[in-house]
Amino acid sequence: METLQHFALLLVGAALVNNILLTRFIGLCPFFGVSNSMDTSLGMAGGVLFVLTLASSVTWVAWNLLLDPLGVGNFLYIPSFILVIAALVQFVEMYLRKAIPALHRSLGIFLPLITTNCAVLATAVESVRPGFFKMGIEYGFGFGEALVYTIGVALGFGIALISFAALRERLEVAPVPEIMRGTPMAFITAGLLSFGYVGLGGLFGL
Amino acid sequence: MREWTGVFRRGLSLENPLTMLMIGLCPTLAVSTKVEGAFFMGVAVIFVLTMSVVLVSSLRLYVPEQVRIPVFIVIVASFVTIVDLSMKAFLPDVYIFLGVWIPLIVTNCIILGRAEAFAYHNKVSLSAADGLGMGAGFSIVIVTLGLIRELFGSGEIVFLGARLLSFPEWYRAPNVLLLFPGAFIVFGFMVAAAKWYNLRTGTRMVQTSAHCTIEEGGR
Repeated sequence: METLQHFALLLVGAALVNNILLTRFIGLCPFFGVSNSMDTSLGMAGGVLFVLTLASSVTWVAWNLLLDPLGVGNFLYIPSFILVIAALVQFVEMYLRKAIPALHRSLGIFLPLITTNCAVLATAVESVRPGFFKMGIEYGFGFGEALVYTIGVALGFGIALISFAALRERLEVAPVPEIMRGTPMAFITAGLLSFGYVGLGGLFGL
Repeated sequence: MREWTGVFRRGLSLENPLTMLMIGLCPTLAVSTKVEGAFFMGVAVIFVLTMSVVLVSSLRLYVPEQVRIPVFIVIVASFVTIVDLSMKAFLPDVYIFLGVWIPLIVTNCIILGRAEAFAYHNKVSLSAADGLGMGAGFSIVIVTLGLIRELFGSGEIVFLGARLLSFPEWYRAPNVLLLFPGAFIVFGFMVAAAKWYNLRTGTRMVQTSAHCTIEEGGR
């Protein structure tokens, strides 16, 4: 019961209270880049869930079995994580193209874009390196905690991206002053959307 | 020399990475709650950007096109590690404030974007001008945003422990500017102001759809 509660709080905290897009501003490029249409947003959300889970598991293993025991973690974590993530995504893309073409068609174009998205690196760093994560939960995640945290982050990304895409589709036909048309209005809309997340701040002491 | 200043100035106005090209937004919105954090973020980005583009540009004849992206990433990641360790040693308070944003300079689209779009095809001196100009453009926008948010949001500006500027007692600071909605809304108005300025001075608008997601998609 205790563990279940712990994991549930971790999931809610990562997905809603510390939403990666709207309260922590990580991974904003796709947020403004692909939110023009609902279809690409859904594809992007699926791709992020997939890549994030995979990348965090691999970097968790790399940190706990290789970098940390050897004592080189503090110097090498940035280059090694980004290279591991980039290589992993390339291999996954090749494998998907060969083995599961249907999934590749729907996620394929998003995979290379996600590699350079800061959300992936941030989540990988936070799930292994103590000290960056603001939530009041113990640092130094075990594998299960890292996995639940990562899935929570990806779900939060999906929720924010899809709701913003829905707002932007309506915004296309709204009467907006000429100078505010396009990106300025998108930013202000995102600001209003993020007001909803202010209300969640401090919920359950997360 | 004229070419050099021309390239340098482009980063400040016409191709400003933040207000015009819309790349590298994440750290801008996140660390601009304090002028101090914004300033050192700008310094870190100028350092990493200039050093990386100079190195990329001097190695451009020896790096085959097929492996250029991994090479760029390793170069950028090495300079970010330098910043990470030296900031931890000399500015521990700022290091704690910036937190995860230091390692995230690696994935800042401005740096990889400039290495790919400019430094890989131009000589070293011009690349240095481009790096400095883009870095300066980034820093100006991020520090301005930090000034607005800290001054009006908390009523005073504190830089490295010294109070530079403060409002009188009766000013009741709207906390919302320091929270995340404030970042989005103030930045939205800044983009609109930059757009208005460019329209008034008749500067040609550049393509605003150069998101990193699209720019780096063709690799």
